[in-house]
Amino acid sequence: MVSVPLSLRGISKSFGNVQALKPLSLDVGAGEMIALLGPSGCGKTTTLRSIAGFEQPDTGAIYIGPHDVTELPPNLRDLGMVFQNYSLFPHMSVGENVAFGLKMRGIARADRERRARDLLKLVRLGDFADREIHQLSGGQQQRVALARALVTDPKILLLDEPLGALDKNLRESMQFELREIQRRLGITSILVTHDQEEALTMSDRVAVMSAGEIVQIGAPAEVYEKPVNRFVADFLGTANIFSGSALAPEADGTWRVALSGTEPVEARITTNKALAAGERVTFAVRPERLLIGPPDGPGLTARVRDVVYRGSFLTYELDAAGRTTPLFVYGQTRAPVPVSSAVRLTWEPDCAVLLEGRA
Amino acid sequence: MSMQTLTSLSASPPAQSKRNRFRLATGSWALPAVLFLVAFLIVPLVANAFRSVTLGEAALNPWAYYEKLLLDSYYSGIFFTTFKVSLVTTLCTLVLGYPVAYFMVRYAGRWNALILFCMIAPLLTSIIMRTFGWRVLLARRGLINVWATDLGIISRPLDILNDPLVVYIGLVHVMAPFMVLSITAVLQGVDVRLEESARVLGANRWRTFRHITLPLSLDGIATGCMLVFVITNGSFLTMLLLGGGKVQTLSLLIYQQFNLTQDVGFAAAMGNVLLISAMVCVALQTRFVRRRGVKA
Repeated sequence: MVSVPLSLRGISKSFGNVQALKPLSLDVGAGEMIALLGPSGCGKTTTLRSIAGFEQPDTGAIYIGPHDVTELPPNLRDLGMVFQNYSLFPHMSVGENVAFGLKMRGIARADRERRARDLLKLVRLGDFADREIHQLSGGQQQRVALARALVTDPKILLLDEPLGALDKNLRESMQFELREIQRRLGITSILVTHDQEEALTMSDRVAVMSAGEIVQIGAPAEVYEKPVNRFVADFLGTANIFSGSALAPEADGTWRVALSGTEPVEARITTNKALAAGERVTFAVRPERLLIGPPDGPGLTARVRDVVYRGSFLTYELDAAGRTTPLFVYGQTRAPVPVSSAVRLTWEPDCAVLLEGRA
Repeated sequence: MSMQTLTSLSASPPAQSKRNRFRLATGSWALPAVLFLVAFLIVPLVANAFRSVTLGEAALNPWAYYEKLLLDSYYSGIFFTTFKVSLVTTLCTLVLGYPVAYFMVRYAGRWNALILFCMIAPLLTSIIMRTFGWRVLLARRGLINVWATDLGIISRPLDILNDPLVVYIGLVHVMAPFMVLSITAVLQGVDVRLEESARVLGANRWRTFRHITLPLSLDGIATGCMLVFVITNGSFLTMLLLGGGKVQTLSLLIYQQFNLTQDVGFAAAMGNVLLISAMVCVALQTRFVRRRGVKA
């Protein structure tokens, strides 16, 4: 199977006077899986539906490989798609569902039945061809939907919240399974999801969307560890937001910052942006990067307000002196710090990430 | 089948007893309705059946009227016309109604309520009024003849009002809402994403319709067709008022037997035959819909 790249060139879309998609460009490499992540109404679904051909973009063009498919109807785009509710045809058997795409391409019955069986084996449902759809569990329906989408060797695989309807455990195992199949086939894929964990787990790159545009795009670790603004920091997990003013650069490229909104404490943050001394800055530190230290050590003075046991870790909620919003810290479950202890909070300079805009 | 299993599964014993204790409606509540139906439906039907084998010619041979109906070529011709009229009307309303239903469900959006109102509003008017409306339009000096003459399409007024075709126009007009409403009810349950799935899998619009939308809306089509067929079978006003009495159907004949010939026994026999044919249709429809009970 030959992987092809997908390229969105300045596509935009308005519904009435609502701009669902600002001119958006995105290049997906051959065999790459990109997640479009964002809250509902951010334009991720409109983007996917434009690629599928269900929406006609107002401007811009969509290329699959070297071909401009902007004007093509969905049935001529050579795509595979898995819908949120699987959309399996209720009046057909599992085998007929999987073979549907081949039937539409005029493949002979014997050939398409053989190929459908191969695909069902791929998703580990080898003996299910004669079952009825309503006899399947949610996870099995999801696999059938995947087999049906892949049976025609599509150039692009579109996944619209594919695991949204599954329970948590099944969702996690399906994440890995789906990812494994996608890698094995090397099929260029777009995953639309509002679940940050799903996006981080399954994709090569994550495009975080808000209000019809891509706010940040990068590898999962990059987007999570180095969010560009407060929206990305908040949407991908929890973030502790600090503000302050820049003091002076250090030799190692970090900056010394005077925190504001708390007791006057000096902290260090990482940035590759040129800052001016005295400039107002906003930065984020992830809860697992904040370190709780003894009250007589260095750092920001805080008091433990609450400790929540989360199974594999603890969530501390802390009040910092002079600060109105609480800080969150994830800690080990062994030897927890008791509620109302006085502590000091510190972080490594490279864990404090400068954000665009004000807090 | 599956519905029954589901109900019996969900009704677990403790929940059942609790529900019984607080249940307001019991079986005896149905009594007024049952009495009403016995007095005004069952008794007249039995009396009618009785009349058909005792009155007039049936006094000598109980089956005389039925034999006449089934063996006399004049009456079997009327049977044939009755079924032909019903069948053609059903097919026409289906062909005209399906696109309307599809448009209402898929594209009408906020206009849906308006279209629905326009569909149902005529049902609030008496069928006589609606049929007379056609007479006014199609009369020799009616609107259509006058306009067509003024526009020079025809040189002198045509006798369209007494053409059998007008019976079909009238019937389709009266029956269309039943077909459209039956189909919309089922189409609403067909997820648009099923159609989109088919599109992505390589089906063009026509094949998506043929392989996905049509099979999934068969229940609505079956219900609509049976409904229109049975109602058309029993309607006589349209045949009476339009087409100049050229379209002779069973129900019109019953009307004439009662009011003109006053051969009550024969009319009763024909009524029973019509009733049985309607029951056969309803039984077919129920069977057909049950068998294909799919969850969309």
